[in-house]
Amino acid sequence: MSLNDFIKQLDDLVEAASTRFEDAINQVDKEILEETRIEYLGAKSGKLKEVQKGLGTVSKEDKPVAGKRFNEVKNRLEELFQSAADAITGGSGKKGKVEALDVTLPGQRPRLGHIHPITQTIDELKDIMGRLGFSAVEGPEIEDDWHNFEALNIPLEHPARDPLDNFYLNVASTGTGGGNQLMRSQTSTVQIRVMENNKPPIRIVSLGRVYRPDEIDATHYAMFHQIEGLLVDTNVTMADLKYVLRLFASSYLGHDVEIRFRPSFFPFTEPSVEVDMRWQDTWLEFGGAGMVDPNVLKAVGYDPEEVTGFAFGLGVERLCMRRHGINDIRYLYDSNTKFLAQF
Amino acid sequence: MLVSWDWLKQYLDLDISEAEVCDRLTLAGLNFDGSSTVDNDRCLDLEVTSNRPDWLGHIGIAREVGVLFDLDLKVPGADVSKISSGAACPMIVQIEDEDFCPRYIARSITGVTVGDSPAWMANRLRTIGIPTINNVVDATNYVLMEIGQPLHAFDMGKLKGDTIRVRKAVHDEKFLAIDHRDYQLTTDDYVIADGSGAVALAGVMGGKDTEVNELTTDLLIEAAQFAALPVRTTSRRLKLKSDSSYRFERGVDPEMIDWASRRCCELIVDTAGGAVCEGHVYAGSEPAARSSVTLRFSQIPRILGINVSSAEIHRILERLGNEITKQNDKSITVIPASWRRDLDREVDLVEEVARIHGYDQIPEHAGVSLSASHQSDLDRVRNKIRMGMLGMGFDETLTRSIVNDVWSKAFQGWSLAEPLTTSMPMVKGEDRLRVSLIPSLLGARRNNEKFSYTDIDLYEIAKVYLPKPKALPDERYMVGITTGRSFFELKGIIEALVGMLNPNVMMTAMPYTDPLFAEGQGAHLIVDGTTMGYIGVVCDKARKAFGLQQPATVAELDLGALMKLAILIPQHQDFSTHPAMNRDLNLIVDEDVSWSKLQDISYSAGGDLVEDVTFQEIFRDPKKDGPGKKRVLFTIKLQAYDRTLTGEEADKTIAQILAACDKQTGAKLLA
Repeated sequence: MSLNDFIKQLDDLVEAASTRFEDAINQVDKEILEETRIEYLGAKSGKLKEVQKGLGTVSKEDKPVAGKRFNEVKNRLEELFQSAADAITGGSGKKGKVEALDVTLPGQRPRLGHIHPITQTIDELKDIMGRLGFSAVEGPEIEDDWHNFEALNIPLEHPARDPLDNFYLNVASTGTGGGNQLMRSQTSTVQIRVMENNKPPIRIVSLGRVYRPDEIDATHYAMFHQIEGLLVDTNVTMADLKYVLRLFASSYLGHDVEIRFRPSFFPFTEPSVEVDMRWQDTWLEFGGAGMVDPNVLKAVGYDPEEVTGFAFGLGVERLCMRRHGINDIRYLYDSNTKFLAQF
Repeated sequence: MLVSWDWLKQYLDLDISEAEVCDRLTLAGLNFDGSSTVDNDRCLDLEVTSNRPDWLGHIGIAREVGVLFDLDLKVPGADVSKISSGAACPMIVQIEDEDFCPRYIARSITGVTVGDSPAWMANRLRTIGIPTINNVVDATNYVLMEIGQPLHAFDMGKLKGDTIRVRKAVHDEKFLAIDHRDYQLTTDDYVIADGSGAVALAGVMGGKDTEVNELTTDLLIEAAQFAALPVRTTSRRLKLKSDSSYRFERGVDPEMIDWASRRCCELIVDTAGGAVCEGHVYAGSEPAARSSVTLRFSQIPRILGINVSSAEIHRILERLGNEITKQNDKSITVIPASWRRDLDREVDLVEEVARIHGYDQIPEHAGVSLSASHQSDLDRVRNKIRMGMLGMGFDETLTRSIVNDVWSKAFQGWSLAEPLTTSMPMVKGEDRLRVSLIPSLLGARRNNEKFSYTDIDLYEIAKVYLPKPKALPDERYMVGITTGRSFFELKGIIEALVGMLNPNVMMTAMPYTDPLFAEGQGAHLIVDGTTMGYIGVVCDKARKAFGLQQPATVAELDLGALMKLAILIPQHQDFSTHPAMNRDLNLIVDEDVSWSKLQDISYSAGGDLVEDVTFQEIFRDPKKDGPGKKRVLFTIKLQAYDRTLTGEEADKTIAQILAACDKQTGAKLLA
């Protein structure tokens, strides 16, 4: 027998034996273990014994190498047997030699922080809109009358401008044509700023904190978050709006979803609609939307005969609370670490 | 708007189920909010948007149902000629300000018998939750809920003089309303006055003194139009909301006021007897002629994305009560209905077509083109910071932007200006725009200490509002951090954050004194000569003020500064693969020699071979070293880019460092 053939026999033997010992470990079966031991390491007719006979037929000059290799394989098989035996009997074979770990003791956990559920919701919404080609933009939280109302087609006599419904600031007007300052009551203000400074096409989501006086209770807070989308271009229609919102809703819910429009009223869109999405056989309010009102387009210097656009807005708190089953809006702003650590 | 199903059916031959009607109304803009059974009737709750005051009466709702189901609307004639006495209305009406009251119609009825309303009327009012009073008051409420026009009945016998005036209230004028409460008026309010004073708060509520009761025999029926803004101002200031004020705030149909007046008189005579004086009073001007609006058919696909036939457009607009004045193959021109003051532009007609034709006709598939979008640098940096803080065990929180006066001044590192105030508080006592996140975070600590929570490690990324004269304030994003851990643990967290954004940046700390910080335990953090933030241990006094039991350390970093230093796309820096050599130095220096000084000297004196200068510890042994001295132990890591350093090279570099430290600070190597 050539040296190569002999070594091949040894290698095959180790490979076959490893598989059998692994079986024994996997099945935690002492009988398989014993059978395997006898099959390979048996003193009388074990396979190792069998291979050993071949050693005699190897040429004389190859014998030292072959013998050395045979011993290695023998040791390896014994090791395999021992480790399989330890694995099956829980290492009792080595008892007293090494201090065993109580592996059921708890691990040493590093402390991990948490990201606020509102942030997580906003990130997800931004991410979805990003994939649909809408870039996220932010703007000032303190605004002037022009950006918060006038440019959005909300005239002075509109109830939305009532001093009791807004956080006006006690400062003299800016004198730059902006008029009074107030905490913005909607993120549409950002859309105005973007349109004032850019030519169409526009494709953005604006987001952030908004403020409206309200008695704070389980479902109301005087500070909340909005995310609003805006697309202005030539040939933008309500069918585009419906399509984008369906993609948005489907992406958010992770499966195809039907949406519907109900007529509504917002000063800055015409037509205006409420958007519902179908969720487990009921219609859920998703947000408000519509085609950008021609007065808004004119206010930012666009020609309503040239371009059209759609806009939509969602309340982040509502989506976040429904998604995570949060039953009291006040939790979101209480800084209770027991709450924050759940997300 | 609560609607009686029985009542609605009076105006239409309605053979359709309630559910189907509500479904269609919802999809036409009258959102169905629920329904209930009241005796033998059904009460529907329909949500009316502020642009549709015509839906604040049963006829308006019935008209919509008629359009949706193609049914004819039957509006009562309100003819009072057969029940008239031929006499003239005995009162004159004077309107002081026609901007406030463009028109006022008065009719009088004599010889009524006040009593209970007939069952049909009482039942309908009860269905929609309106308390029944007597047949006169109920008739005014009935017409209000029928057409949306508020009416008021005065007891004519109690009116003084022969003139009704619509005028501004005088300063401090007192008014006793029918809710039996006294109201103090201002010159912003408008009243209806007789010879002796105010008898009604215009558009809001009638007065107690001229109220109709069982003894009343003669009536003056008011039907008028009042401007929205003053009515709202008065109603809100006095916290006096009524069905009338609600409707005037949204606007009434100027061309149906007379119909409402006649209808009310007709019902009163029907139920309480008496006769209407034929001569009625009409003060003010006739409503202006309505201007026409043209809709180009091409606008329908341009805006809606679908085609609607011109015949269908014609049908919809006509059914809605608009008068078609012209139509050709390109456009249609209408004069909008008198009750639709919201229709005055082409796009308004587009919406009407969409609404009635049905938004379900608009497809969900369209061809929105692909577009590139990118994440802003602000978002990238913020996300990195959030990831870092998450890994370091901090919970993100969000707190209110508006705080109380004390909190607004608790930390003024960013601005010493008086914080901006809002005209009304967000929460009682909180009307200051914050100039730092730190006070809010200390408040957050207290919220958690209340529950005996430990490990309160919080951060918030939010804006502060730094006042700027005559301009919008300087809004700056801040990263506020608080922990119960030590100064150096928090400083290390900041170093790790900054290092994550830019590993090469050198942040320096200068001692900083602030009333919030414990003495000698505050620092100003600086990068490239500009302020990046502040860090400090909160002093005992401040902790007490915030109601905190446990130690607190805080920091606030300017996100703008972090954005400036951040490297969003790190570049590979080639590094040495030769072994490094570490040498520990133990220097005795004066107390006032700072670590950063020793570190700076080590880098500059050691030259290119110095890879790192790492602080180990400070130790003091006044007995051996004398007073005012400290031992600073640190490690210098030496490494060459292109070779293995020899011992001589290392010794030479260390000797240079020691010499420079000695020369510049008097540091001596511990023997």
